[in-house]
Amino acid sequence: MPSKMSSQTGLPRLGAQVAPILIVCVVMFALPVILNNDFLLNKVARYLVLGILTVSLALSWGFGGILNLGQAMSFGIGSYAMAMALKLKTIPVYTGSGGLPDFMVWNNVTKLPWFWEPFKSLRFALAAGIIVPALVAAALGWFIFRSRVTGVYVAIITLATMVVLNLVIIDQQSYTGGFNGITDLAQLEIFGVAFDAYGRATFYLVAACATLSLLLAFAFTRSKAGLVVQAIRDHEGRVRYFGYDVASYQIFVFALSAAIAGLAGMLYTIVMEFASPTFLGVQLSLSVVVWCAVGGRQSLVGAFLGAVLVTGVQGALSESATFLETWTLVMGALFVLVVLFLPKGLAGLAQDTWHWIAQRRRISHDLARGVGRTREGSA
Amino acid sequence: MNQFFEQIITGLSIGSILLLVALGLSIIYGSMGIINLAHGEFVMLGAYTAWLFQTYLGLGLLASLVPIFLVVAVIGWVIERFVLSLLNNRPLDTILATWGVGIMLQQSVRLTVGSELRYVQLPRSLSDSMDVFGISVSSYRVFLFVITILLFAVTWLLMNRTTVGMKLRAIIQDRSVAAAFGINAKRVYGLTFAYGAGLAGLAGALVSPLKSVSPDMGTGYVIDTFMVVVLGGVQSLAGTVASAFILGELSGAIAFLQNDTVAKATVLLAIVVLIRFRPEGLFTSRVRA
Repeated sequence: MPSKMSSQTGLPRLGAQVAPILIVCVVMFALPVILNNDFLLNKVARYLVLGILTVSLALSWGFGGILNLGQAMSFGIGSYAMAMALKLKTIPVYTGSGGLPDFMVWNNVTKLPWFWEPFKSLRFALAAGIIVPALVAAALGWFIFRSRVTGVYVAIITLATMVVLNLVIIDQQSYTGGFNGITDLAQLEIFGVAFDAYGRATFYLVAACATLSLLLAFAFTRSKAGLVVQAIRDHEGRVRYFGYDVASYQIFVFALSAAIAGLAGMLYTIVMEFASPTFLGVQLSLSVVVWCAVGGRQSLVGAFLGAVLVTGVQGALSESATFLETWTLVMGALFVLVVLFLPKGLAGLAQDTWHWIAQRRRISHDLARGVGRTREGSA
Repeated sequence: MNQFFEQIITGLSIGSILLLVALGLSIIYGSMGIINLAHGEFVMLGAYTAWLFQTYLGLGLLASLVPIFLVVAVIGWVIERFVLSLLNNRPLDTILATWGVGIMLQQSVRLTVGSELRYVQLPRSLSDSMDVFGISVSSYRVFLFVITILLFAVTWLLMNRTTVGMKLRAIIQDRSVAAAFGINAKRVYGLTFAYGAGLAGLAGALVSPLKSVSPDMGTGYVIDTFMVVVLGGVQSLAGTVASAFILGELSGAIAFLQNDTVAKATVLLAIVVLIRFRPEGLFTSRVRA
């Protein structure tokens, strides 16, 4: 369909791709006006954060072809970075001695560990929540892609690395809060604005970050580096023969995706008011893959909406235990069906329907024109 | 010295359970290239079948082993036939599909049997302990070790000394050429998957007296046993055996020196590093693409 593509790049026209993103963003910002319920807003904010996380996976999986089963690792690091900073801001109720977090006191730690020190600065924590996951991912990516490990092994390595970090966090209870995670946090305050988990400000913050992530990810997929990354996904060898340094591009997209996941993790701590080892657990990490696949791994908006949709339904049904159990069963079945018959997810389905309608229109249009021409000829 | 032997035997015991669960996974992954994330659920199904036979039919564990194998194998066959055979050339998607299947199996059990813990009794003839090199070991663990070795031997014979095994090996080498010689690849794949699932079910039944039976009991096994398969090398049964016992001894030893968590983390890290440098595993000399 030449009319749908821009003539220079052969990509779908810019407008056709930006429009869905902008619509989603406008709807997000309009939600607080429609939903006049703080409890509900907090829930929706949670779904949006998970949506951001899923967008980050779509970037590395759908566009880069890197199935990262440990995406929740970056998410968890971001979440802990935020939680550590906010924990140090709380007034120590149980201690009074040097502002030591309560769980450290319970574990007989007398001095703040060195890696906690810098988190006294909020600015450091905010930067760390994004940069540390990116650096960790870059190091892991260097480790993986420089030796041309591909496919299934990437999935195994990323999953195993995440499990290791998860185990370490649970094991080092006196420094990380262990199994309970980090709880009883202060509120985040930037430029005098307090971000209460149930407040409007937090919702707008989440919506703004979601918009930013979507646009950033989108800009990347249109950039030259983004195009090379997609080419690597489709045929790694061919790109290598063209002289591109394949591993560098893979490492870059891997790190970018981790940075966005880290941002999502920080927001998650604000919305949930705690950090827990389950945030970098296998369960969540694999769920993100499901959301991404259901929404459409090769569509940023699709992945985002997929996550919001699935977690939203899950949240709505969670009031009743039997409903939730049945829903999980249905979810599993739905997921299998999507993998089997809709490899491009719901976004792919929407796109195909759209094209189908457009094509039908054009055919009937052409027919009408054709009929008109024959009449003119005979007259 | 005594402590040393005790450690060795603990390691062997961990290793035999690992091998028991990994055997089915190794066959499915090695021959079909399917990463079966539902493997843990097959283990769970085996354990529940054992519990069902015991509570409703009064059958002992040893008497119900063969029917358990058949039940789980049939479930596996159905899954291969209706889900996995549709994903022929998409190995990464099999990860996703089998995970979805795993969720469905887990939830079905939760909805029908309930999520409370169930217990399977130890066979009475094996509930005492016996003397191995001057160390008292539970008879059941010795029995597990023996039966694991037996199952391995049976599997090896199936693969290397039967017609089905030969056909399977032909398909692994080149599916289209094998098909040209009149081998029905679909049928052989179905049987292979069923056999792997059945083995997992057996593993679940055999492990059930040692642990409590719950719908999510299988999830922990998948990652551990997957590491066994990767370490041993795909398509190498003997490698799987060696790596199961290496990992068993290793985690036993580190757990003794440090604790369980450190042991698990170290072993995982070691495997990550190993995949980086030897993706074909420790014990395979060459890999066919």
